[in-house]
Amino acid sequence: MQKSKKIVILGHFGVGKTSLIQRFVKDSFSDKYKVTIGVHITKKIVEVNENDSVSLIIWDLEGTDEVQMIRQAYLLGTHGVVFVFDVSRPSTFQNLNSDLKIVAEKTPDVPLIIVGNKIDLVIQDELQSLLKDNNIEANYLTSAKTGDAVNEMFTHLATLLNDLT
Amino acid sequence: MNEKDRLEILKDILFTEDREDIDKIADRIELLEQAYNSREKFASRVDPIVEEQLDKFTKSIPHTLGPTITATLKKEIQNHKDEVVDALYPVLGKMVKKYVAQEIKVLSEKIDNQLSFISAWKRKLRSFFGGSKEKELLLDDIGGEKIEQVMLIERGSGLLKASFSKTETIDEEMISGMLTAIKTFVEDAFNQKNQELELIEYELYNIHIQSFVNYYVAVVISGAYSLKAKDKVQDIIFDFYHNFMEMNLDLIYTSRHLEQPVDTISSKLIQKKLAEYFGNAKI
Ligand SMILES: Nc1nc2c(ncn2[C@@H]2O[C@H](COP(=O)(O)OP(=O)(O)OP(=O)(O)O)[C@@H](O)[C@H]2O)c(=O)[nH]1
Ligand SMILES: [Mg+2]
Repeated sequence: MQKSKKIVILGHFGVGKTSLIQRFVKDSFSDKYKVTIGVHITKKIVEVNENDSVSLIIWDLEGTDEVQMIRQAYLLGTHGVVFVFDVSRPSTFQNLNSDLKIVAEKTPDVPLIIVGNKIDLVIQDELQSLLKDNNIEANYLTSAKTGDAVNEMFTHLATLLNDLT
Repeated sequence: MNEKDRLEILKDILFTEDREDIDKIADRIELLEQAYNSREKFASRVDPIVEEQLDKFTKSIPHTLGPTITATLKKEIQNHKDEVVDALYPVLGKMVKKYVAQEIKVLSEKIDNQLSFISAWKRKLRSFFGGSKEKELLLDDIGGEKIEQVMLIERGSGLLKASFSKTETIDEEMISGMLTAIKTFVEDAFNQKNQELELIEYELYNIHIQSFVNYYVAVVISGAYSLKAKDKVQDIIFDFYHNFMEMNLDLIYTSRHLEQPVDTISSKLIQKKLAEYFGNAKI
């Protein structure tokens, strides 16, 4: 049986939200930065096991440096949240834990996945200490450019949402 | 008088004054020479003193003259703002221009994106509803409005609960997400707390939107959408929704008797109902 699930992708400007979706849905990547205004919707059917597939309706929200500024209305009825930061830009994760707290308050009782994107831009060892120093626990470290861990991340979320209901 | 005498007289007449002048000039030169020499002597002794005084004076300006100068400048600036700005403009201009240009670039990028956001929606809607069908519609009698498609959509999440369509070509899940996003955006952006988006006009289509508490119904109508038709469509929506809610209540009631958790009405059943209500409706 196929279920439909809404997920929202949140994070500061230019962290790669749209690029991650593009990679996942179309398996492509562009270096050009096209700012998302408002919201953009895409859909992808994800096979979670032999019998089940989930139709993910992905809401790609415009970036906000202030998490508080996210339009509440876009978050209504969402089944899952992906919060993306940019490992190459400290300003996008310096306040990560307080950002996440606000996000969790805005979207209670739904799975929240924390993603550090653009890992192709930093050195692996330095990345680990960077995360440690900032007290960050990311669920996934991805690169929309190389495709690293992108499918895994979305498929994991889809599986999680399928199992929840 | 011989020639020589005459010449002498002539010389006298012509040069007497001259000579006097020459003498005067010579005197003056001599005076100047003296003055110059003595001044050089004098200067060598005086200059260091003057320099020292001047140095002291310069250093004391901030204390002595400073306040006066500042006050004067302030007043001057106040009285001649335009001139000051003008004077500063070439210097500041470059900085300001660079900053403004950057800001304008960002702004115009935002506007571009805003526009592309809207035109992207339009493009998407067109690709969903449009294509060759658009042309066919043009050739058909435009007057006849027809219900093309009905969607029952969950508010907020925008997830499609059920739908009925005469032409099974479009991705209704995407459409309902997009309609919800547009609806949310419009209602939020214009802060219409008590007003809901009711109608989206799109080229040859009208999308009638009727909001309820948990769901909203979107009806896609082709052809000119008259007030009379709107009235009819509204009636059908209300009838359907009333029935849908009754089914919900029935379900809750029954499940209470069965002491089972409330299950939702299957999409199939709602779909059947949608077809029943909207399928052959004359509007
Ligand atoms: N090197 C590298 N660049 C990336 C990666 N992901 C995104 N980018 C680049 O980062 C820029 C911003 O990417 P977007 O996907 O538009 O970012 P966004 O989060 O959607 O931005 P907003 O919509 O403005 O919030 C683009 O130039 C992308 O090409 C990545 O994994 N690696
Ligand atoms: Mg984006």
